[in-house]
Amino acid sequence: MFRLDAQRPARFCDGLTRRDFLHAGAIPVLGLTLGHCFSLAGRASDGAYRPSLARPANSDVNCIMLFLVGGPSHIDTWDPKPAAPEEVRGPFRPTATNVPGMQIAEIFPRMARHADKYSLVRSVYHTATAVHDTGHQMMQTGRLFTGGIEHPHVGCTLGYVKGGRGEMPSHVLIPRPIGRTGGNLPHGHTAGYLGRQHDPFILNADPAVPDFQVPDLLPPSYIAPIRADRRQRLRDGVDAAMEAFENNTQSRQLDASFQLAYRLMSSPRARDAFNLNQESPAVRDRYGRTRFGQSCLLARRLIERGVRFVTVNMFETVFDEVTWDIHGSRPFTDIAQMSREVVPNFDRAYSALLEDLTERGLYSNTMVTALGEFGRTPKINPAGGRDHHPGVWTILMGGGPIRGGRIIGESDELGYRPKSRPVTSGEVAATLYRGLGLDIHRELPGPQNRPLPLVDFGVQAIRELF
Amino acid sequence: MLSAYLVVSSMMLGQPSLEIHPPAVKLTGPTATQRVIVLRTEDKAIVGDATGRAEFFSANPKVAIIDENGVVKAVGDGETSISAAHDDMNVSIKVKVEKTRTPEPVSFVNHVIPILTKVGCNSGACHGALAGKGGMKLSLRGYDPDADHFVLTRQANARRVNRQEPARSLMLMKPTLALSHGGGLKLDVKSPEFRVLADWIAEGAYLTSPQRKQGESDPKLERIEAFPPRATLAKDDQLQIIVRAWYSDGHAEDVTRWARYSSTEDLVAGVDDQGAVKVGGHGEAAIAVLYANQVALVRIASPFENNVDPKVFAQSPRHNFIDPLVIKKLEALKIPPSPQCLDSEFIRRAYLDAIGRLPTPAEVAAFTKNPNRGKLVNALVERSEFVDYWTYKWADLLLISSRKLPQPAMRSFHHFVRQSVADNMPWDRFTREILTVRGNTLQNGQANYFMLHKDISDLTETTALTFMGMSITCARCHNHPLEKWTQDQYWGMANLFAQIAIKNGERAGEFSIQSASEGDVAHPRRGIAMPPTPLDGNSLPSPHRGRGAGGEGVIDRREYFADWLTSPDNPYFAKALVNRVWRNFMGRGLVEAEDDHRQTNPPSNGELLDALALDFVKNKYDVKHLVRTIMNSAAYQRSATPQAANKADDRFYSRYLIRRLPAEVVLDAYSDITKVPTAFTQVAVGSSGGNAATVDYPLGTRALQLPDTQLVSQFLDAFGRPERGQTCACERQQESSVTQALHLNNGQTLNDKLRNKKSRIEDWLTEKIDDDEAIRRIFLLALSRPPSERESAHFRKIMREDPQAARREVLEDLCWSVLTSREFLFNR
Repeated sequence: MFRLDAQRPARFCDGLTRRDFLHAGAIPVLGLTLGHCFSLAGRASDGAYRPSLARPANSDVNCIMLFLVGGPSHIDTWDPKPAAPEEVRGPFRPTATNVPGMQIAEIFPRMARHADKYSLVRSVYHTATAVHDTGHQMMQTGRLFTGGIEHPHVGCTLGYVKGGRGEMPSHVLIPRPIGRTGGNLPHGHTAGYLGRQHDPFILNADPAVPDFQVPDLLPPSYIAPIRADRRQRLRDGVDAAMEAFENNTQSRQLDASFQLAYRLMSSPRARDAFNLNQESPAVRDRYGRTRFGQSCLLARRLIERGVRFVTVNMFETVFDEVTWDIHGSRPFTDIAQMSREVVPNFDRAYSALLEDLTERGLYSNTMVTALGEFGRTPKINPAGGRDHHPGVWTILMGGGPIRGGRIIGESDELGYRPKSRPVTSGEVAATLYRGLGLDIHRELPGPQNRPLPLVDFGVQAIRELF
Repeated sequence: MLSAYLVVSSMMLGQPSLEIHPPAVKLTGPTATQRVIVLRTEDKAIVGDATGRAEFFSANPKVAIIDENGVVKAVGDGETSISAAHDDMNVSIKVKVEKTRTPEPVSFVNHVIPILTKVGCNSGACHGALAGKGGMKLSLRGYDPDADHFVLTRQANARRVNRQEPARSLMLMKPTLALSHGGGLKLDVKSPEFRVLADWIAEGAYLTSPQRKQGESDPKLERIEAFPPRATLAKDDQLQIIVRAWYSDGHAEDVTRWARYSSTEDLVAGVDDQGAVKVGGHGEAAIAVLYANQVALVRIASPFENNVDPKVFAQSPRHNFIDPLVIKKLEALKIPPSPQCLDSEFIRRAYLDAIGRLPTPAEVAAFTKNPNRGKLVNALVERSEFVDYWTYKWADLLLISSRKLPQPAMRSFHHFVRQSVADNMPWDRFTREILTVRGNTLQNGQANYFMLHKDISDLTETTALTFMGMSITCARCHNHPLEKWTQDQYWGMANLFAQIAIKNGERAGEFSIQSASEGDVAHPRRGIAMPPTPLDGNSLPSPHRGRGAGGEGVIDRREYFADWLTSPDNPYFAKALVNRVWRNFMGRGLVEAEDDHRQTNPPSNGELLDALALDFVKNKYDVKHLVRTIMNSAAYQRSATPQAANKADDRFYSRYLIRRLPAEVVLDAYSDITKVPTAFTQVAVGSSGGNAATVDYPLGTRALQLPDTQLVSQFLDAFGRPERGQTCACERQQESSVTQALHLNNGQTLNDKLRNKKSRIEDWLTEKIDDDEAIRRIFLLALSRPPSERESAHFRKIMREDPQAARREVLEDLCWSVLTSREFLFNR
């Protein structure tokens, strides 16, 4: 297989290229934030990944994907069109950011101060049916599901290839998977054809509620430690047909699941990771005391403790909830509601996340992307809202090897379609894979063992971001 | 004893001899060649490739010559023979040579396209991609020769071919890197491939050569042969495959170089792109050979290096026709069968596999006292839980759920299936009732099949998958790359479903499925309708197709399809069902995955699948008979415990394959054992993702009795209940996950049942039973066996450790530990 990017050395944020690094040989690790995690790094199912303490932290990049369920209006957020007619440009004015020449809507005052930390890709588009579900599939897996094939989420592929670090799951989804959004199609949050064992660990709880905890992670109050211990030891006593079970992969998987569950339950680090009470009230306030805000905080805690990939769904559904899905009439949201509730919620949490990751030295090896499933129609509809528009929209990418402060692509004057450098969901996935250090040409065992590369042939990462 | 051994060993050594493949050579044209291989045989079974060490001779070099690699070349018209000698053995075959004075033109379809395919030009990753590559688009693997010819000879200002100077054609300069090529070096200037392409261009780059008479086309490829068809080899052996193509004018060509090869089991035998096989392990592999749209198989057996006393096979029990066929395969591969299982193991296994519930301790006791396995099997298939279990199974297959169907329609569909199972409706009739249904969806529940699959492609593909266990989806857009199905066949089949009308019924939510007397679906590439044809069956004759001509003489296309599908001669229908039922009991399909029947995914024991299908047809598609036949076989009744020599086998049924119980079965077992039923009170509804309360399921409804998969259950979801969204056996997840383990440890489902004030544990407290009795009872309830002394001691000790512990909690912990053990969660 030939690679078009083979000439370009991969660049690390510390300025070393991969080639420099290979020539340098084994460099002792200094000041690794996550150093203690790497020693526990898991093996990939195919054994291909060899975790090494001699690699710089940046070669083992993490990712947080903030999924902006509902589909933010690009014109009202990160691709303002001040020169467009009134029925297109909408109620918000552009504002300057800390990056000269980059303007976003005025309703994101906090984000405007951090524009050097993220880049805007203003020319993402898709051509599938304009329902939420197709966009969810494409943005989380890089592909539209056709022919009964469910593709794996980028985070699940990462987990499949690299395995988990120590007792931590490789991919955690918080707070809940995307539910019904009208299309009745899969949303792409699973490991698809890679098999359920590679699915994300799903939180299934709201981190903003006062007594938040991971369901089933901790024993219920009536199972005291002495009982939990008794149960485990009793369970080991059923020992007929040992050979039959030890010779069986399903059975070994059951044992492994119980072991990982025990490790999670008994690991102070795992329990800590999910324990938001250990964060100071000031930090919790900084992210906002909303479900999304606390989910972002939880994502940071998880990454800090060795999780490789965290997916945060900003909403579970688009019905009867104030979301980015601003059709203007019930059961959906209108533009004013969005700017009053959804936007400040995001502005606060996203900015806090970038700041916090940076302060903790995690941002240099943690990509953060915030993306929705499509944009909104440029022309405001009679209900005072905007409808689904996969023709063009804007996503945010930054962290790890991704450069900040850039604008990739542009939409046309009305925000109707890409004007330059159109970007597909496959290219977004390729960018994430490349940022995570995976070879985009790598093949996974697809359905019926048909080999499927991480992204379709010829699809490339957005190299301007590296 | 000694003499018996000698007889056997001399049989095993066999009568060594040689064979040449192909067994006769026919060469047509002045440049024709055919490579042959020399094979060592023992008792007519092929056991090795001796080509490299054999010496070759031609009886008449004026007709044909042969070189040291076994390549026979035409010299002059006539007949002769060639022979091979090796190890004092000799063999010869006939060679016929013709038309050495009449050069044949290079054929675009028969020669150029196969080369483009072999080299990879028209692969999905290169110019065969939907959008082409680098400005040139070819049809994927050459399914559309007319379009490809146009692209190569007309597009790009016709620079791709240069008839005056063939070597300056773009289509030769690019892949040889004379000009830069995004795809890199694909063709060597000195290769035979380059030569054929250059010749074709020099001859004029015709789609059909002008040498052909008016209206005559190139000979059509009719079939391919792969040699040897089967061989029994040892680890590290090598073997060269030979592929020969036969054409409609009776001539044959050696296409070994241009065929494509893949192995079903790379770990057993791998194959390179020139057809050289290398055996790397033990077991069986099929080498799929693809050339143009034809498929052939070479079966490679590599027996395990076990020294098995032949008596083991001779004495292994044979209960019915299944067993000799299983044993035959095991013996060929030298895999010893495990002995038969214990009676207590059998009854638990049989209950779980046939009716999805555990036997009660009383049932176990009665059976072990009088262990008549055949009688137990007969009784099981008549139980009401048999209806529950198999209704659930077919409801999975038919996607019955309120996810896409309104509640009344979902119930109506479920009712149809349940009644059919209760009546033991023959599978052919069941299928026909669904596919040819007319009438309204609330009275004829099966009509909802057409409500679920309104899109004609979805209907066509789902029908093939449901009733033939075959995925034809690839052929929707292009010829199937791993199968013989063409896009034309796909759309011919789809056209059988083009005359269905869905009308509104009398009430809201009611629809009526009718047959229309006109309507066709167009082939998307050709823009015309293909004759309505059930895959490789005969087309519906045109007078009966009903193209707007009204009702006169029109044959209902669905009836026509059902006739073909359920005909005793249909090669797919019976096998698909037999394989599904076989997998339910045996843990692995003869064809695996169970719904992936295709030529390039052959069964692990083809003779057995044929025999089962034949028996099923002979017994009028009686599913209960099939269930009994499988359960009564010695193969089903083997122990799950592996032996050193059959440990590596997971597909030839040398032992019972253990597997995790389905989600619904585990949940029902928890209810039975604790005596605390599961309440199903919430159903996921509508598009809003919310749940609604439901009172349709009275307390005591078993999970296997639910008609719908939309009932809210954290347990069933965690343990892999299928969504019934897509027809695929893969929807049901059998893997274990951390979520499951956490849920069993800390979740409510099992803990609440154990803690319930009305649970069985409460009875035990009232009875004041001691530890030993409690251990004995939970083992009998959950594992259908008493604890061993060692197990009792282990439990007793831990249960007594803490004198302060509440008795109830200790009993709960005892039950929990047995009910989460792998022995409980697995059938073995």
